[in-house]
Parts: sequence; C-alpha cells; structure tokens
Amino acid sequence: MNAYKVVARNRIVYWRVWRTSFFLTVLAPVMFLSAMGLGLGSLVEGDRAFGGLDYRTFFATGMLAATCMQTGVFEATYPIMAKIVWQRNYEAMLASPLSVRDIFLGEMLWVGVTLAQLAIPFFAVMAAFGIVDSPMALMAIPAVLLVGMSCATVVAAMTASLQTDEAFTWLFRLVVTPLFLLSGTFFPIEELPEWGRLVAQLTPLFHGVELVRQFMVGSPSLTTIWHIGYLVALFGIGTVLGIRAFEKRLRP
Amino acid sequence: MTTSDALISARSLTKRFDPFVAVDGIDFEVRRGEAFGFLGPNGAGKTSTMRMIACISPPSGGELRVIGMDPVTQASEVKARIGVVPQMDNLDIELTVRENLEMYARYFDVPREVAGPRIDDLLDFVQLTERSSSKVEPLSGGMKRRLTIARSLINDPDLILLDEPTTGLDPQARHLVWDRLYRLKQRGVTLVITTHYMDEAEQLCDRLVVMDKAKIVTEGSPRDLINRYSTREVLEVRIDDEVREKLIAAMQGSVDKVESLPDRVLLYTENGDATLASIHEQGFETVSALVRRATLEDVFLTITGRSLVE
Ligand SMILES: Nc1ncnc2c1ncn2[C@@H]1O[C@H](COP(=O)(O)OP(=O)(O)O)[C@@H](O)[C@H]1O
Ligand SMILES: [Mg+2]
Repeated sequence: MNAYKVVARNRIVYWRVWRTSFFLTVLAPVMFLSAMGLGLGSLVEGDRAFGGLDYRTFFATGMLAATCMQTGVFEATYPIMAKIVWQRNYEAMLASPLSVRDIFLGEMLWVGVTLAQLAIPFFAVMAAFGIVDSPMALMAIPAVLLVGMSCATVVAAMTASLQTDEAFTWLFRLVVTPLFLLSGTFFPIEELPEWGRLVAQLTPLFHGVELVRQFMVGSPSLTTIWHIGYLVALFGIGTVLGIRAFEKRLRP
Repeated sequence: MTTSDALISARSLTKRFDPFVAVDGIDFEVRRGEAFGFLGPNGAGKTSTMRMIACISPPSGGELRVIGMDPVTQASEVKARIGVVPQMDNLDIELTVRENLEMYARYFDVPREVAGPRIDDLLDFVQLTERSSSKVEPLSGGMKRRLTIARSLINDPDLILLDEPTTGLDPQARHLVWDRLYRLKQRGVTLVITTHYMDEAEQLCDRLVVMDKAKIVTEGSPRDLINRYSTREVLEVRIDDEVREKLIAAMQGSVDKVESLPDRVLLYTENGDATLASIHEQGFETVSALVRRATLEDVFLTITGRSLVE
C-alpha cells in the first residue's frame, strides 16, 4: 500500500497555501450561519415544517453535508484532470513502484483529508452557535467525509475518461447545483412533488443530509444503516469504476 | 539466444492500439552495462516500446523480460530497479527542484538518511545545486531535462530508459546531457536510449536497432551498420535541376549508389574527392559539393529510402 505517498505529496503542496484555504473554510460557514441565523432564519422562525428544527439548525446541517459533497466533487474534477493531462503527475508516479490503485486510493484519501479540513472547522462553528449538543453529533464528521468521498470516486472515474474539461461546467450546473438545492438541504423534500421526492431519495446528498441530521439533532435508527449502506456501496462502486478508468487512461 | 547477462529480452513484442499496430513483433536483447539505442523516425514505435519496458503500458503480445522479471505481474519490483526519463518531462511543477527529488525518493522508499546525501550528489552531478530551491517552471529546457535525469537516478537503478533525451534542446544543452550520460555509462549503468538523431545514436550507443514503421529493420553497432549499409564516404552535391538526371545517369555505374533527395544528390563512394573530380571532368557544374563521412542517417536512407528527420 503506497497510497499514503500520494497523500504526502498533496499535503506538501497544500501546506504552501493552507493559510488562505483554512481562512476560507472557517470564514464561509461563519458567514452563512450568521446570515441565516440572523437574517433569513428569523423570517422563517417558528415554522414547524423543518422536522421540528429551527431553520438555522436545519440549514446548517444541510449545508455541512452539501458543502462536503460539492468539495468532494470539485476535488475529483480539475485537480485530477490536471494530474492526468496538464501536469502529468500520475505518469511520473507510475514510473515509480506506485500502481494505478495506489494513485486512485491515495487521491481519494486526500479528498478525505481535504473534507476533514473543511468539516471540522464547520462543525466547530456550529458548536459555537449552539447547534451541537451531544457527543453523538461528532459522528456527523465521518458521515460527511463519506458523502464527499463517495461522490468523488464516481466523479474521478468520469474525469479519467474525459478528453477536455468542458463537461465539468455542465456537471456543476446540471448535477451538483440541483442536488445542492433539492436534497433536503435548504427545505425539506416533503415540499417537493411526488416524483421529486423519489428522485431526491436516490441522490447521495439526501442520504448524507439525513445522516447528519440523525446524528446531530435526531436519533439514529434503522434508516441510519440504510443511509450508510447506500453511501458505502456508492464508494465501493465508484472505486471499482475509478480504478478501471484510471487504468485505461494511464496505462493504454 | 537469451544470455544470462541480458537485462532486457523481447521476443515478438507487440503493441496494438486497436486497430493500429504501434510495435509489430520485435525481437531484441539488451545486455548488462551496454548503451543500447532505438533509432528511428517519429511514429516508428520507440516510445511504445519504452513504455512497455517501463511497465507503464502492458504488451499486447509476445514475450518481455526486464531484469529477469515479468513487467506485467511484477511491475512494482521491476520499476523499483529502473530509472525512466520520459519523452516529455513530467516534473512536479508544484514542487521545487529539490522537493521533486525528495518526493521521488519517497515513492521509491529510499530511506531518508540515504536520500539526503544522494540528492546532494545528484544535484551536483546534473549541475543544479544552485537551483535546488527554485521552482521547476523557470528552469530552461536543458535544466529540466537534467533534473529529470537526476530524478531517474534516485533509486540507484540498474537500468535507465531515456526516451529522446535531447530532443528540443539547443546544441550546448545537448552536449551537457550527452556528457552526463557518457559518465553514467562509464560507471557501468545500462542505458537504453531512443532517438531520431543519428549523431546521438553514434555518440552514445554501443549497439542499436533501427526501427521503422513498428518494426526493427536492422541491428548492430553504429560502425557495423555504416560499414554494412554505406560506403566510407558520401559526396553531397547540389546541382541545377536540368542536369540532375544526367548526372545521376552518368554516375550510376561508377559509385556504389546514388540517392536523389529533393535538394541534393548523394553519391556513396569510397573516395569522395576522386568522385567529385570525375564529375567535374565530365563537364558537370555543381552549385556546391561536400565530402563527408557516412553516418547512420545514410544507413537509414539506404534501408528505407527516406531520411530520418523529415
Ligand atoms: N495511446 C495511443 N493510442 C493510439 N495510438 C498511439 C498511442 N500511443 C502511440 N500511438 C501511435 O503509435 C505509433 C507509434 O508511436 P510512438 O511509439 O510514440 O513512436 P515514436 O516514439 O517512435 O515516435 C504512432 O503512430 C502513434 O500515433
Ligand atoms: Mg517517441
């Protein structure tokens, strides 16, 4: 297992810019939560349509999962395309004892590290806003890592089979943004028409959002296992497809 | 005919990119300690061959052994013992010169206490010590190439694969690279070099195969090949188009061979000056004339009827 070497390489590069990145990952949730809590949140206060949650809690939990999904997807697009096509890092790695599998798993591990760097400050900000009230809530962190990483595997498989980066724009417009809005992030999926509810339940983000809410403000149940199972299966399938696509692309 | 000191042996080695055949059943053997060349024009299949040896691209057919191992099933073990200089540099542009070597040392599991001094030595060897904390991008083409060579040596390999090591470099940078490769050869490192420059093949290779259109067309030492396929000297003449055909007809019998290229006529002869004198005696006026030693370029031209670099 040489996958950790890929993580080590990315960490060295990331270390140079961590100040800006870290600042943004903390600042963004603080701004969102403040705006929502003080502004929009107060407009919809008292409404019982959010599963019994106040809107700020509803929004923050949804946002945590959605941001991680979006970041996971992003990390599997341009950065991986760059290492395949523009900078050809993988070609250089493949001339060493690293295998395609090491490279793929290493990149997915790195996505996990990136997500942790995002999720932990986000979680801390939520705690500061008084949204966290039990140790069980900490489980939301591995849950959102799983959401981001499972989406990343599938998208990385797609990236490895693309010739240009044009498709990424469409991926964000037609897939990520709708998922972001329609997976119960900003409003409960009960508000959606029948077919919309069905579609939402098929999306990884819906399962991620549900998991976060179950851990942070609800109580885990049998459905928790179903949500985790869905995401683990997605991660497994994505990994198989991803390694296959990387193999085809990098070792023609 | 596999000998025990063969570091690489290939039999009927084939690479297909369906339906295209990039390497068509080639046989060759590289012995320990030699500098072995693949000489051929663009598209001949040199890179495809190198990538199979480097365990990056799986062969589509035939047999291939590298350092006594199978490059498909034992890829990591083989790769641990070879160094690769790819046709296009793929240095990590997000790291510095030194970090590029440090990172590669990690990929190869070179222990930290070994890697440190080795990196110092390698930077010195490729004359990049002063640039060690520079980023990669501002380096010149020659410097990048030298860094790639240093990187290929990080695991102290038995075998180095160099795919067109000096293509695109200016003459001075080329000579510096040649000099370093020559030193490696003296240290006993086995070199496999691809090139479409006949002077590079002549300078560096003990033995080479000439590739054309996915096949090996001939094999031998540079001297051997020149003796076998060419005369000792070549007379190149430029002459007016009206008398060109007449000259070719007139000389056909008195020299070994005449090649007509778009801009000049090549006459293969043991004595270039004598041939030139005879041309002038027959009343032909040449625009210019040059007598030179025969090269691998002439070998290629003789075998394929085309020149190496279009
Ligand atoms: N991945 C690939 N897919 C399809 N064709 C390829 C691929 N790689 C190389 N080729 C083709 O194989 C032939 C040989 O290429 P290559 O081995 O790069 O030759 P050389 O290095 O001698 O210039 C070329 O015609 C090239 O277009
Ligand atoms: Mg080539």
